[in-house]
Order: sequence, then structure tokens, then C-alpha cells
Amino acid sequence: MEQFEQLLTCCVCLDRYRNPKLLPCQHSFCMEPCMDGLTDYVRRQVKCPECRAEHRIPYNGVQGFPTNVTLQRFLELHIEITGDLPDPTSGQVMERCNVCSEKSYCNLCMHCEKKICPDCKSAHMDILRREINRINNQIRRGIHRLQDILSVVEKNTLNMQTNSQSVAEEIDEIYRRLTKAVKDRTDYLRTEMDKYVTNEMKNLSTLKDNLELEISNITSNCDLAEKYMNESVEWSDCELMDTKEIFLKTVEFIRNFETENSDYSRRIRFSMVCDLNQLVNNLSAYGDLHFIHPASAAQNNPLLQPSVSGIMRSKSDHRLATQFRQQQEAFNVDDEPLLGGRKFGERPKPSQDKHSDSRYGGYDYNEDQHYDSSSRSSNKNRFRSRFRGHHEDEDENESSKVKNEKEKITNTEDVAKGPLSGIFRILDSPYAMKRIQESDKPREKKDIKPVTPVAPTPQVQVKSTAQPVTTPTRRPQAARQQSEDEIERIKKENKATSSNTTATTESERPSVDRPSILKKTTAASSTEESESPQTRASSTTATATTQNKSPVRSSSESSSAESSSDAGSSGHGSARPVDIPPIRTRTPTATVTTPPTTETEKKPFQSRFLQSQSRTTVTPPKKEETESSSEEESSSEESETEEETKVKPSTTSTTSSTSTPLRSATTAVASPSTRAGILRDSATTENRRSFEESSTPRSRYEPSSYSRAADKENETSRYSARSRATYEPPEESSYSSRFLNKSKTSAIANQPDEQDEDSDSKYGTGRSRYMALKERRNKLARSRSSHNFGNDDDDLDEPVSPTTQSPSAYLASRYGMTSGGSELSRSRSTHALKSRENSPDRGGGPEENKEALSSWARYLKNKYGSRSSTKDSPRDSGYGASSSSTTPSASSYSSASAASSSSPSSATSSASRRLSLGLPLRQANEMHSSDDDSKNLQSSLASPIQQQHQAVDTEDTNTRYCTPRTQYLQKRRQIMQIGGRGSEPSKFTWPRGVCSGPDNIIAVADSSNHRVQVFEANGQFRFEFGTYGNGDGEFDCLAGVAINRIGQFIIADRYNHRIQVFDPSGRFLRQFGSQGASDGKFNYPWGICTDSMGFIYVTDKENHRIQVFQSDGTFVGKFGSCGSGEGQLEHPHYIAVSNTNRVIVSDSNNHRIQIFDVNGKVLSQIGAEGSQEGEFKFPRGVAVDESGYICVADSGNNRIQIFHPDGSFLRAFGSWGSGEGEFKGLEGVAIQSNGNILVCDRENHRVQIF
Amino acid sequence: MAALPRRIIKETQRLMQEPVPGISAVPDESNARYFHVIVTGPEDSPFEGGLFKLELFLPEDYPMSAPKVRFITKIYHPNIDRLGRICLDILKDKWSPALQIRTVLLSIQALLSAPNPDDPLANDVAELWKVNEAEAIRNAKEWTQRYAMEDN
Repeated sequence: MEQFEQLLTCCVCLDRYRNPKLLPCQHSFCMEPCMDGLTDYVRRQVKCPECRAEHRIPYNGVQGFPTNVTLQRFLELHIEITGDLPDPTSGQVMERCNVCSEKSYCNLCMHCEKKICPDCKSAHMDILRREINRINNQIRRGIHRLQDILSVVEKNTLNMQTNSQSVAEEIDEIYRRLTKAVKDRTDYLRTEMDKYVTNEMKNLSTLKDNLELEISNITSNCDLAEKYMNESVEWSDCELMDTKEIFLKTVEFIRNFETENSDYSRRIRFSMVCDLNQLVNNLSAYGDLHFIHPASAAQNNPLLQPSVSGIMRSKSDHRLATQFRQQQEAFNVDDEPLLGGRKFGERPKPSQDKHSDSRYGGYDYNEDQHYDSSSRSSNKNRFRSRFRGHHEDEDENESSKVKNEKEKITNTEDVAKGPLSGIFRILDSPYAMKRIQESDKPREKKDIKPVTPVAPTPQVQVKSTAQPVTTPTRRPQAARQQSEDEIERIKKENKATSSNTTATTESERPSVDRPSILKKTTAASSTEESESPQTRASSTTATATTQNKSPVRSSSESSSAESSSDAGSSGHGSARPVDIPPIRTRTPTATVTTPPTTETEKKPFQSRFLQSQSRTTVTPPKKEETESSSEEESSSEESETEEETKVKPSTTSTTSSTSTPLRSATTAVASPSTRAGILRDSATTENRRSFEESSTPRSRYEPSSYSRAADKENETSRYSARSRATYEPPEESSYSSRFLNKSKTSAIANQPDEQDEDSDSKYGTGRSRYMALKERRNKLARSRSSHNFGNDDDDLDEPVSPTTQSPSAYLASRYGMTSGGSELSRSRSTHALKSRENSPDRGGGPEENKEALSSWARYLKNKYGSRSSTKDSPRDSGYGASSSSTTPSASSYSSASAASSSSPSSATSSASRRLSLGLPLRQANEMHSSDDDSKNLQSSLASPIQQQHQAVDTEDTNTRYCTPRTQYLQKRRQIMQIGGRGSEPSKFTWPRGVCSGPDNIIAVADSSNHRVQVFEANGQFRFEFGTYGNGDGEFDCLAGVAINRIGQFIIADRYNHRIQVFDPSGRFLRQFGSQGASDGKFNYPWGICTDSMGFIYVTDKENHRIQVFQSDGTFVGKFGSCGSGEGQLEHPHYIAVSNTNRVIVSDSNNHRIQIFDVNGKVLSQIGAEGSQEGEFKFPRGVAVDESGYICVADSGNNRIQIFHPDGSFLRAFGSWGSGEGEFKGLEGVAIQSNGNILVCDRENHRVQIF
Repeated sequence: MAALPRRIIKETQRLMQEPVPGISAVPDESNARYFHVIVTGPEDSPFEGGLFKLELFLPEDYPMSAPKVRFITKIYHPNIDRLGRICLDILKDKWSPALQIRTVLLSIQALLSAPNPDDPLANDVAELWKVNEAEAIRNAKEWTQRYAMEDN
């Protein structure tokens, strides 16, 4: 048996045979690994270990030897007999481990997703375990942090409770004092009155008696006089005299008596009136204070939102985690201003007592009386449930929102504001903590988390719709969301622009569309919309109107819950467009036109609406005075009329309707600029403007603005002063922080002081709200301006005419004020890019691609100098103007273009000649149709024939060809050099690729610093991008760099075996490719270039081929294979494409330059190995200029060689060394449009320019 | 270091379980590819009675390449030089994966009993062996006596 077993044992591995192969010498060995090990690959022989016989290996390898079937049967038999597998690894096939390359029985490793051998696998598992340990440690540390946060939250809740309690007590105290004061006063007055009345009565009664007496006396006297004062009766003179005196006295008395009478009556009235007024004033003042609390809370919502966005930006861990919550909260919070406003208007007194009560009371009034009875505890429960599942929320739970606010860990100030629900908070906060923990643990999921909140929001919104105000307030949040995904926004931008273009054409349509849209929306929604315009009007003018409206709104909505919900949903829909404010709001003029734009129109309304809201909350005291019911009626009437008027202007004339949004934008801009000015002023000016523009709205504006504004003078002035002080920072982030601070202070203020402080806080809250508003508006303005950029010419006039009298100032202020300008410009650039990409052939859609054109034109201009302006020049100037209004960066261009257009004749004839030549040259590939003059033909055929022509030809061509030629002949002296070893800006570590782009910028692939550096034409560092890694925008020893015609950077990310594309500002756009040898895959891609059509040519170095891609990365074709024959390549390094579409490749290891056509057909080749002129040693960089001259970095000879377009040698310069004009290891070369040659001098870590 | 190939493990096991008479090979504690070997001088040879220490190392690609073997004990042999290096074809070009440690050691043992002065490594020894074999054998015995016998 033992012998039997021995026979089944391979003598090499000493295991039982696995797949025994029979050698011709009749010895058998395992196929793997034994036979493999025996193989002599060089001689393709296998030597039998047993007999040392050497056998030739079959063509298909050792597996070509016959299998020893007999032996296998024996093996099977043995297995049957012994009943066990001969070997645990039997049945498995040996493979090469993908890590250590050893042959082994490989298994898939989850760590690296490769099949690897057990050894490597165990090593990997060790790595994993270690990683887990490490992460665990991190988590441990992180948990500590969470706990800290928890404690902070708990502390906050505690503080909040105490705060709320104390505030509540204070409020109670105030109430008591107030009531006492009122009562005392009333009592006092009563008694006084009684006293007075009794006195008066007494006096009057006596007077009456006297009067009666007098009257009887006098009448009797009169009678007597009539009867007896005649001749019939004898009267003595004395008697007559007395009688006369008596009568005279009577007359006198009567007169006197009259005066007295008037005195009496006057006195009574006078005293009464005085007392009443004072009392009322005092009361109202008290009421204001109370209101402030809720108002401030409400305010915070807008405030919170900016802060939230800031947080999002910062992306700190726990904040991210709470982001979801905050969004919810933000929604909830938004509703509050409504509540507060309503409460105040309707039930000032309860609000004074306790916030919670007042709030609910206010609520009840609006919705159902049964809420009145609802106890606090019940509310709590509701809140809690709400918090768990927002979907189930009932409309009433606004208070819960307040709680949510407090919950926010970040905003501690809120705690003070929401004293009502302190208890709830505690309950809720653990929830929050749990969630935070959950979210923190799987940190990877964080990205997803922010998205999820979006889903619940609409629902919440719908629910909260019961309060009309909620919908508008929500919008800011939406705006924030927008910031979250810029990409989407950009997409929408593009859409918007297209819609705009169409819109401008149909100016008539808009007017019709707008009302129709209004009709389409449900009745509820229509009411909502109508409200918003109305509020807009009121907001611009005075707060009182809005105040009135809010009750109306609420009542109408409460009457029909369903309709209100509809309105809410519609509001939400409108909120969506708001997400993209930069896009649509940009086109205020066009807004009225197309349906999408109408949506955008709402935005300004919203913002105004918001403003009005904020004011409403401030104003409530007024309502106290007057009967709310009566006001409601009047307001409802007003609103109706306003609705009508609203619709009218929009329908009647596009200008008027458009002007309104514009106006809002302008005010937004103006207000920051006129920070010093008073708010009311701006409002009134606005009104005035509106009057001028349209007579219809005027009637509406006038009464409200002046009558009401007058009432509020004190408040507004204060308010404005505040706003002035606070409003300074235009940026969002600053807003947020500021808001936070403000709200905090206000909250604190509420606690200690009573009346004064309250009033302060009230205004403070109003102020902060106002700021939020402003911010919103700013955004609007900004977004609008950005639109301007996109829409160049169309919009150029528009912002000027309807909105502001001085457009320049307007623009200036806008750009001066908004620090978001940079953002704008950025977004604009991307937008421009996009549009350009969409329509690559610019000849096709000139309108759309103006931007692209302009930059392109600039590029051309730089190349060819000033040109005699043809059809293009007006366009240019147009761009210049538009761009000047848009981006600061564009200003230079605008001025340049202006210069060109202004002095078209100044260009020399030769220059213009060149230009006209060059232009077609360049464009030949892009716009085949446009240019077909002979020169174009000539230039496009950069061939020896041309050169012959050159001698005979006109001077122009001479100059054209001579210029570069002589230029190149003179090349020797270094003009400039950039770099030196290092990793800081303007330093390199083994720079490789270099290229030139628009404006003659220089882009250098700083290979071992894993970044691209971009320099101005003068060598000044502009910016850099990229870091080490394999993620998006990261490099691993990048090699080639190219700039396509729209300024995008295309990078050959060498060790990542891919191509990356970046926008002109260095932001990652996309990548394509991975390691491999199939189509679209790379093996150490090196050189890269693009042609005029945007195709990307890549030298796939280790695959010894050239690959061609579309600008979006789609594989187009490939050519070349390994070898030294014609059309074959061996380690091609760099590549260049001439404007005649000749593809020039440095076939490095074949020591030659090959020139292909775009289809990969060999046109010619230059050079061979050697050091003579026209010979190469490992040529690397290649470049070709406009006229077809080829520049080669002859790496092994450390020189630059320049060739005629036909491939004949022109000259060479350079030698080994590190001085000027000396090289150590040449890499990429590039030729700028001005003929300067950029040379990457690798080992000297510099770029030299000749 | 990669795990020990199954073949080495098997060989080692077999060497321990069924040792070759007159040969002991023990793997080093710290390196399973390094063996401490003791070979007894074959009978009827000048080396009879001697215990010759050797070291044996299995290279990384064993069994595809031959093990490295060297005499530690000084020995007077025409095919073994003063450093203990062995001139043996199977350790060089005649190596075959079918050979094992035990076969190698047996070959070495055989080499001791049949010196091959025509393929010398130690030239002086070989010369003497050819010219005066008796003298050479005496020397060998003497060396064996001196270096390989006294339990050192």
C-alpha cells in the first residue's frame, strides 16, 4: 500500500499527483506547480527531474503535455479506497497571487478584491484588524466628544428651562404689575370722575335752579316791561333808571352765563380724553414687550437658516449630523412668525401672561376654539410625538417647532427664547443625541443624510400650512438646499438661460401667461399668491397693511383646512424654483414671459412677503388698540382690491410687472448701500418709483404708505437704526453669526429687564428678521446679476431702465456690497463653460455661445494682436460692456476689446493681414463653412509647397512664414525661467508636461508635487490645483497637461492611468480611463493634447499607442502598436496636434518623431538615433506652432530642435547643464501664441522660456 | 517570510520519522530551511569513524534549485575545499527537483567513500590523491582523527 501511495506521489512536490502530466520520457509530474517550475522558459525546454531528459515544450505550454490518465485513474481509485481526499488543496488551481505574484491557491480577498494567496490574505486580514482597531480608537475618542456634546445639550436644556421659567415669572410679574397699575389707575380715575361728576352735578343743579329762577325772574321782568313799561303806567324816572339797569344786568348776565356753560362742558371732555390716551399708550407698549418674546423666536428661523448653511459648509461632524434636524426645525420655525403675528393682533393680553398660553390662544382663535382648553401637558405630548414622526404632525404644533429650535446644539441662544417648551426639550434632546450618535458612527453615510431631510420637509410644510405665513418662510431653507447641490443648479441655470432667450422674443406672451397661471393654481393657492403681492405692496410701504392682512389670511385659511393645505403644497412648489434663485431671478425682465420664469417671479414676492411678516410681528401692539374684527374687515377689503390691482399691472404691461421684481432686487442692493439711510426712506422711495412707473398701483401704495408709515414713525426709525448698525456684513456667513449673536442678546435681554428691555428685544428681533430679509434679497440681487452675465446683451439694458435711475451706481453698489461676487463669477464661468460645451461648433449658435466666443476672441486677439474689426468686433465690444458689468476679471478684456473696436483702423495692414490669415487658420477646423478664401487654403496646407510659394508669394505670406522662422533662428537666449526645486508655489519637483492656453497662460504639470501650476504669461503664479491621491481632482505623478480651446485643463494622470478634466478655474469636472490595454484604458498615459475640435489625444505610453477621445471622454479611436516600423511606436511620450490636424508624436524609444493624420495614417517621420542635427536621442516633448513649425525636446542630447513644417531641420540650441539655456532631462515643450517656447527642464526643476 | 512549502515540511517530517542511517539532519529552530547535518564517515573509507558536521540551506526556490551544502568540519578530500565547499554535480548543474535532502546527503556520503580527484576542488589534495593515493588516504585518516572524532 505504501508503495502504491508512493507511486501516486509526485517526486517534485512530494504530494499526490494533481493533474499529472506525462513527459515523453514517461515520467509524470503535477501540472502545477511542479511542471511550471521545471520549465526553462528561455530555451522552451523542460528537464525531467527523474531522468534529466530534456523535452521541448509544446507550443501551447506545459499543459500541452498529455495527462497521465492512468495515473489519474489510480488516484481516483486511491481516493475510493482510502476514502479521503489526497490533499486539501486538490481540485484547486494554482494561480498567481495578485499581490506577491507567487503561485499559490488563491482566494478572493475582500480587502483588496483580488485573488491572492493565503499568506497575503492573512496579512491583509491583519491590516483590516489593525484598521478596525484604529477606527475603533477613533470612535472611542469620538464618543467622548459626543458625550461632551450631550452634556452641553443637557446643560443647554437646563439653562433653557431656568431661563424660560424666570422669563415666565417675570412676565407674570409684569402682568401683575400692569394689571395692578391699570386697576389702580382705573380706580383712581373712577373716583376722580365720580368726584368730579358729583361736583359738576351739584354745580349744574344749582346752576339749573338758579337759571330757572333767573329765567322766571327775567321772563316776569320781560312781561312786566312789555305790559307796563308804556305810557299807560306812570313810572318815576328813578324807577325807570333802575329798571333799565336791571335789564342791562340781565343782558350781561345772560352773556356771562353762556360763557360759563361752555366752560363746564369743555372741562369735562378734556380731562377724560387725556387719561384714556395715556392709558392706551402704556398698555400697548406693554403688549409690545410681551410680543417680543415669541417674535424673537420666530425671527430666529430666518436667522437659523443662514447659520445652518454656514454649518453645512463647515461640515463639522456633529453639525452635519444635526443638519437633518435643523432643517426640520427650520421649517417649523418658519411658521412661527405667523403665529406670533396673529397672536398679537388678536389676543394681546394672553400673550402677555404667558407665551405658551398666548401662543396657543392665538392659535385657537385661528383654527378651532377647542384648542383653548388644551392643557400644556397635552401640548407636550403632541410635540413629542411630532418630533418622532414629523409626518404625522398636526398643524397646530407650532410650539414644537420652537422647541426644535432650542434643540439645536449650535444655537444656544434659542434656549432662552422658548421657555414654554423647556421640558419637552429635555425629552427631545436625548433623541437628538441618539440620532447624532447614529449618524456619527457610520460616518460614511453622512453624505446621504443631508439628502434625507429633504423628503420629510414637504410634508411638514403641508401640515404647517394652516398658518399662511409658513410657506414663504420656508423658502429660505429651500435656498439653502439649493446651495447643497450646485450641479443641479447649474443645470437649471442652463435651462433657465435657454428659456430666457425664448422669453425675450415673446414679450407679449408673458402678460397672458401670468394670470393664466394664477388661475390654474387652486383657489387656495391663488389666494396665497394674491396675498403675496399684496404683502409685497404693504411691505414696501408700511407694516400696518401686512399686519392687517395676516389675520385675514389666517381666517380664510382656517375656514377651509383643505384649501389651506393645497395652498401650502403649491407654495412648496413655488419654493422649488426658489432653490435656483441665481438662475431665474437673474432675469427679472424676462421673468414675466415664460412659465418657469413666472415661478421665479414669485421669489421676489416671497422675499417681500417675508419682510412683511417680520414687520407684522413687530406691529401687533397697534392691533391691541383697535378692534381686531373691524380691522380684519377693512383689511380683507384692502386685500381684495390689492389683488385686483396686482393682477392688473402684470397683465397690462410687461414693464410694470417686470419692474416689480426688479425693484425688489434694487432695494435689496440699495438697502445695504444705504445702510446709513433709514429703512423707511428706502421703502418710500420705492413707492415713489413704483408710482412713476405705473399709475394703477399708485392708489394702492399711497394711502398705506403714508398714513401707516406715519403711525409707526418711532418704531421704524428705531428699527432702521438697528438694521443700519447690524447690516454691515453682506456675506451669508457673517449674517448667520451675527444673527446668532443678536438673537442671543435679545434673548438675554428678555430675562433681566422688563419694559425697556422688552421693547428693545422686540425691535432687535424685528431687526434680525429684517436682516435675514436683506440677506435674502441680497441673494436675489446676486443671483440676478449672475443671470446678467449669462444673458449678456439682452439683459444689458434692462436692469438699468425700470429699476434704478442710475444703473451704474446700482451695479457698483451691487458688486461693491455683495461679497458673493466671486461666487457669482465662478458660477458664471462654469455656466459659460457648459454652454460652450453644449455647442462646440461656435459657428452654429453664435447667440448662445457669446461668452465662449468672447473668450475665444480674446484668445485669438492675443495671438494675432489687434485686428481690424470685422463683423466680430461689435460683438466683442458688446461682450466687453456686458462683461464689465459682470465680473471684475472680465474688465481687462472689456477694455481691450473696447480699444480694438474703437481704433479698428489703427491696426497695421500687415497685422490685419496676418490676422485674417491666422483667423481662418485657426478656425478652419471649426468652421469649415465660413472661410474659404485662398489664404485659408494656403495656411491650412502647411507644406513644403507653401514654402516654395513663400519665396514667390506676396509679402504677407512672407512675413507670416519669415516671422516665426527668423524668430526661431534667433532663439537661443532664455527669456525667463520659472521654478526651482520645491513644493511651494512657483517651485517644481520634476515638472513634466507644459502647455500654453488663452492669454498665454502657462500650465505646468508639477509631476512629483502632484499638482498643476498655472502662471500668467509673465511667469507670475496664478493658481494651482491638485494633490496627491487617486480621487477626483487628485493626481499621482501626472505627466501631460493640455488646455483646450475653452480653457479647460486636461491632465494625464499618469500613475492613476486616467485623464482628468478641470475647468478653467481648476475645478474638477470629470475623469475617464483606468489601467488596462483595451480601448479607453491606459497604461501610464503620458503626453496629452487637444485639437481645435476638442478631441483629446493621449499617448498611452506603455501600450505604445495613441488614443483619441471626444472632449467628454468618449473613446474615438487609437493607433500605433509596439514596434519600430512605420506607424509603430515604442514608448511614445508626448504628442502635439497642428492646426492642420497633423498629429506629431515623439516616438521616444525609436528616437524619432512620427507625424500622423487624424486617422492614424503615417504622414512622415523625422529623425533617427544620433546627435547630429535632425537626430534624436529619446525625444520627449513636442510642440507645433500656428504655422506648423515643430519643436522637439531632444532629451538625450539636452537640446531643443526646431523643424520646418515639412520636417527639415531648422536649428537646435541648448546643451547639458543647469545654466540659462542648458538642460538636464528635457520633458514637455510648448509654443505660445507669441512664438515663445516653453521648455520643461526636469532635473533642473524649472520651466525655461525662449 | 512566506510559509514553508509543503514539500519542505514533508521532507523534514520524513527525515525525522525515517532517518537515513548514518545521517542526521535537524532543522534550525529559527529557520526551517536551515539544517544542521551530521554525516558519519562511510565504512571502508579514510573517513570511517568520523562525524562530519555540515550545514544545509534550502533556497527560496527549492526544490527548483539545489540546496546549499557545506562541510563545517574540516575534511581532507579532493572534492571539498578548505572552506567546506563541496564539488558535487547534483549540487550544481545536475540538480533535479526530484532529488531531496536525504538523497543529497546520501550523495555526499557516497562522495566521501569515492573521492573523484579528476574533478577536484582542493587542488593540492587532488594532486596528492592522484600522485600518491596512500599518502593522501593517510592524511585523510589523520584529519578525520583530528577533526571529526573527538566529539567536537
